[in-house]
Amino acid sequence: MTQMTQMLRASVLAMAATMIWTMPATAQTRTSPRPAPSRSVEIGGYATVGHFTFAASDSFDAVLGAHTGTILGGGATVGLPWGGLFVDIGAWQYSDEGERVLRVDGVVIPLGIPVEVTVVPLEISAGWKFRLRRLPKLIPYAAGGYSSMGYKETSSFSATGEDVDERFGGYHLRGGAEFKLTRWLGVAGEVSWTTVPDALGEGGVSKTFNEDNLGGTSFRARITVGR
Amino acid sequence: MTVWKTAGLVAVLGAGLLGATGAGQEQAPRFTRQLMQETSLPAIDRGLRDQDPPRPARGRDDADRLRAQAGDAGLPYVRGSVIVKFKADATAAGITAATRQVAGDTVDRSGWANFDIVDIPDGADPEAAAAALGARPDVEYAQPRYRNYAMSKPNDPLYANQWNFPAIDMERAWDIQPGATSSIIVAVLDSGVAFHTGTFRYNSRFPFRMTPGGPIYPPLGIVDVPFAAAPELGASGSTRFVLPRDFIWDDNFPVDLDSHGTHVTGTVGQLTNNSQGGAGMAYNVRIMPVKIIQGTWDEIFSSPNEGTDDVVARGIRYAADNGAKVINLSIGRSAGGPAPVVTDAMRYAVGKGVFIAVASGNTRDSGNQPNRLAQAAPDIAGMVAVGAVGRTLDSAYYSTTGPFVELSAPGGDQRAGGTTAGILQQTLDLDLLETYEKPPSQYGPPRADSFAYYYFQGTSMATPHVSGFAALLMQQGVTSPAAIEAAMKQFATDKGAAGRDDLYGYGLINPRATLRGLGLAR
Repeated sequence: MTQMTQMLRASVLAMAATMIWTMPATAQTRTSPRPAPSRSVEIGGYATVGHFTFAASDSFDAVLGAHTGTILGGGATVGLPWGGLFVDIGAWQYSDEGERVLRVDGVVIPLGIPVEVTVVPLEISAGWKFRLRRLPKLIPYAAGGYSSMGYKETSSFSATGEDVDERFGGYHLRGGAEFKLTRWLGVAGEVSWTTVPDALGEGGVSKTFNEDNLGGTSFRARITVGR
Repeated sequence: MTVWKTAGLVAVLGAGLLGATGAGQEQAPRFTRQLMQETSLPAIDRGLRDQDPPRPARGRDDADRLRAQAGDAGLPYVRGSVIVKFKADATAAGITAATRQVAGDTVDRSGWANFDIVDIPDGADPEAAAAALGARPDVEYAQPRYRNYAMSKPNDPLYANQWNFPAIDMERAWDIQPGATSSIIVAVLDSGVAFHTGTFRYNSRFPFRMTPGGPIYPPLGIVDVPFAAAPELGASGSTRFVLPRDFIWDDNFPVDLDSHGTHVTGTVGQLTNNSQGGAGMAYNVRIMPVKIIQGTWDEIFSSPNEGTDDVVARGIRYAADNGAKVINLSIGRSAGGPAPVVTDAMRYAVGKGVFIAVASGNTRDSGNQPNRLAQAAPDIAGMVAVGAVGRTLDSAYYSTTGPFVELSAPGGDQRAGGTTAGILQQTLDLDLLETYEKPPSQYGPPRADSFAYYYFQGTSMATPHVSGFAALLMQQGVTSPAAIEAAMKQFATDKGAAGRDDLYGYGLINPRATLRGLGLAR
């Protein structure tokens, strides 16, 4: 919870900074029938809530009882002065509790030993925002980039070195559309696909399921601030 | 069985040593034993026996010492009868024809048995008779009544500490699962358990020798033997002990006249964290004492039965039918052929949700013949054959190897590590119990109300580690015997050649890792 609070606080600060520092583009000061490409740096922020489905479904099901869960996060977007190009840095968090298990002869047997799993990815993306002439308030976008997936697993009765607190590298692709409610405020929905190979599968129940990917797919909703 | 013993011991008399006395003894009326009183003086705890002289290793040779006088030494089976399981569709006429085929005239069905005992002439070869019966289309199996023995090799009682528990990381395992609870019943099928306080009256009717050509020990006549519950197992009459059964004396008082069963039971569930003595694996479980093998005193007192395969099978079925969740079999035999009657009972028990741990045997340094009762382990998911490791966690010199060995546990190796490299537990005070080990002039009735701490070694001592471990897993929620076996194997610490091998099986048990199980990534 502390991590989540810190992350949300960072998101709010990012959005506030965006509101303070965002400079209006010259081309946007006059009415235009077609959205003009940005000619200056635009900074925006967002908070996101979504639903993540882990690719390692059997492993998450076995230990946590589900392989999907809610994610909360936020980030900042910087629009670059070259058409719709933008870069984005964001983070979110997934956390759930379950219990350690035995998996014998294909059967998963819970052991009643609490385990908590927290996933905190840091996503750095570059993408393109598409300007639609007839729907200037709707801004589709697509992006891809690097994911640094923080994975933390803590269990009761763990000795030194038996819990996990590591970060793994991977990649993601995402696409969605933002709808501008006002000049400074918008909402967005996006789909994201992430792959983080070789993050799991070295031990634990993921090894028995031969699942090594910490990635997955997610549907996210955003509230955006800035331009 | 009594008839056989009588005949055997009369042979001693026929040697012209004590003929007159012996003849008189044979005319005495049959006498088994009587419970004289339920109470007795408190148990005596003589503490650590670390200054006693070394004791010779024991095994089936000890039992054979008595039989040597009867001319039956070395015979792995009982004469005069065989075990037969007729097929369900066998007709009465077919059964009659079968018994006549082997010159038999009696078919006897005992309690907790799905098989029959067919009497054959004393002079007949039981293995040949069993083979003849087994070939019949209306017979599922037939086998001799092979004798079973304790698998331990007690040695010098020098106390240091119970190295065996740290060796398998039990301290951390107990953090996760502290000793199970009374909801788990572990049946110890052995020489009995020191669970009852009282006095039993026995009749020692026959003279015997302990060694060929050695001195003759005279009959003691009627003797009252005091018993007490082992202080480290639980109070007599307490709920610690559940549904005791004695298949050697055919009653409900499976008291220990040998020390083996009490020692084994201590490793399963000796009281722990009570500021006394040592620890046990699953120290909160309830114990079901089931006596299925006899000790030397039981033989001296002419117990009506001995630990033949049929008795073992009945004991297994009894335990399974009466709520046991784990069966410890630190017994077996290396001689003779297969034991289908026991295997059948084992399958029955596992089918009722009972996990079975059985000793692999102590014959590696004497021919490496497998424990016949353990050989079925690879074919029964939910039954494990256990080998032994010493203090260095290397395979013990005596631990029988073979394809049936599935797991290893500490059983001690006093050849490699000295006396204190055995497994320490409280058991009967051997000074006051084994008076037959003394010269005849000092020979007298035993006491079974005095206790001390002894180091024993053997796969008998390794097996209760696995039984206790199974109880802990059951308490943790792993209730299927097959799952328990699979989990034990999955988390065993691999020893010897990579993967399963004939020396260690899948490796040394790792209770802590197994009980902790798997997280998502680690």
